[in-house]
Amino acid sequence: MRLLTHNLLSSHVRGVGPRGFPLRLQATEVRINPVEFNPDFIVRMIPKVEWAALLEAADNLHLIEVPKEPIQGYEHNEEFLRKMHHVLLEVEVLEGTLQCPESGRVFPISRGIPNMLLSDEETET
Amino acid sequence: MAVVPGGPRSGPPAGAQFFCTAGRGLEPFLMREVRERLAATQVEYISGKVFFTACSDLNMLKQLKSAERLFLLIKKQLPFPVSSVSKGKIFNELQRLINDDPESWLNAISIWKNLLELDAKKEKLSHKNANPLKRKVGEDDTAAKKLKTEQIQEIQETKECQLEKQIEEKLLEQGNFITEEGKFQELQNDVTEAADTRNQTDLTFRVSCRCSGAIAKTLTAQEVGRVIGIALMKQFGWKANLRNPNLEIFIHLSDIYSVLGIPVFRVPLACRAYIKTAGMRSTIAWAMASLAEIKAGAVVLDPMCGLGTILLEAAKEWPDVYYVGADVSDSQLSGAYDNLRAAGLKDKIELLRVSVIELPLPSESVDIIISDIPFGKKFKLGKDIKRTLQEMERVLRVGGTIVLLLSEDHHRHLKGGEASSGPLNSQGGHTQEPGGEECLTPAGKAAVSEPVSSLFVAGNQECLDRMPLLGSLVPVDCYRVSLGKTDALISKYKKSYSPGR
Repeated sequence: MRLLTHNLLSSHVRGVGPRGFPLRLQATEVRINPVEFNPDFIVRMIPKVEWAALLEAADNLHLIEVPKEPIQGYEHNEEFLRKMHHVLLEVEVLEGTLQCPESGRVFPISRGIPNMLLSDEETET
Repeated sequence: MAVVPGGPRSGPPAGAQFFCTAGRGLEPFLMREVRERLAATQVEYISGKVFFTACSDLNMLKQLKSAERLFLLIKKQLPFPVSSVSKGKIFNELQRLINDDPESWLNAISIWKNLLELDAKKEKLSHKNANPLKRKVGEDDTAAKKLKTEQIQEIQETKECQLEKQIEEKLLEQGNFITEEGKFQELQNDVTEAADTRNQTDLTFRVSCRCSGAIAKTLTAQEVGRVIGIALMKQFGWKANLRNPNLEIFIHLSDIYSVLGIPVFRVPLACRAYIKTAGMRSTIAWAMASLAEIKAGAVVLDPMCGLGTILLEAAKEWPDVYYVGADVSDSQLSGAYDNLRAAGLKDKIELLRVSVIELPLPSESVDIIISDIPFGKKFKLGKDIKRTLQEMERVLRVGGTIVLLLSEDHHRHLKGGEASSGPLNSQGGHTQEPGGEECLTPAGKAAVSEPVSSLFVAGNQECLDRMPLLGSLVPVDCYRVSLGKTDALISKYKKSYSPGR
């Protein structure tokens, strides 16, 4: 799971509603995957980013050099875009957990795939 | 992309006539594709086939995604009149396909050779230094795709085998069929060399034949193949070869037309080199993605992605997009994972283990949803489809698009056939505006001539029936497609307003 995805995920534990965001991210295994830099794509993704959630996740993973907020004219700032590219797309959590901030429910991440199933029956199938 | 004949990038001069076979229902997608990708002209279709004229080279032709197979057209004409006619007469008609018009055959062969030659030259240029030992493309192609080809041809060959044998036997009888092993080897290994040879008697061929409709009751495919095969040998001096012919002649005789063509690629276009394990038909997956109007920077979700076929097809064609694939099944997800890796698309597509009725995504966070709604034993109809749609509706942004592959039952259910028991709400009026076609059922039309009050009742009642299922989702497009044994519907919806606010 990449941080771009973490930025989109929200707890869906019943009754939690919007307070289920952001999920608390803990990682036991992180891999850095080189991904081809595509500035246009990053520029389009930046407006979708929830910065507080991204900073918190990056902090939990002890990432450095994460831009604190979108800067003026970032569309043409390659250095900024490369940093964002790295944080959003190249950092991959392979093993770890996501925790609902409201209910405390924990969702495991294994082989890079978060398991967000709520009922245990489904988890067993 | 129109190319001046004889220009540096030219394909066949002045455009060649092609046709593609396509799954039933995909013809409109294919027609759009040949127009857009190949700037094709004279595009027309009949059930299961699309005919067009284009100046494209093999690489461009390979791009077609909604076609099954591609053929160079030799001839297309009206069907033979079969009623109460003797076999002998039909055989005569078949022979006349060749004897009366050898020009169209030679013309098609020369276009076919040009296409291969052009491709071989390009290949040579690009591989000049990389691999001097590899002489020709034909060989390369054959080796790389041999496996798949064999699987597919296996099926055809069982029937073709017989007809080829018959041809061979016949020829042996006539005493003019000589197999020279050495020469045979040379030819089968080197398509391009054959293409270079001006002397067309070096060609080896086989005939694949399909008969359907009335003619199928009178003649077998084998009989037709044999007659055509012998006529070709007599007319042009080509040699029959079952296993590795230079040239395949494809014939389809039906009630609507008689079509003759040359398959351009050995492997059907529908077999994607980049898909390791296909979960659903790649052509249908592509067609669905093409309807979704995917734009760069979009968030695209398949909440029941299975092996990820739709996302693979979409990500190949529209790369600058954030794709998310979700599924409840661990085994499906791991299959999808392997597929993404094999296709080199791991970077573009994120996988989640998630239930489609409980998506861990904020409301209105997704631009596009594309999904093949499973049906059959695994998936219970009724409440689930309703909850599935409601959850999709929730996470989709206003103005966003949903493209679904639905069974007939699902579709009927969603149109509101039995939905009136659901809790109705007061927003029925909303769906009347752009819903358009769906509301214009005969009942609705009849009401137009009646007093206003009853029009309102009729129209409103119908929309209310649909209301609890589709909510803010407005049906935009619907295509019936064939999945082989059954039919399904590709349905497109747009979210028209935000129900929560």
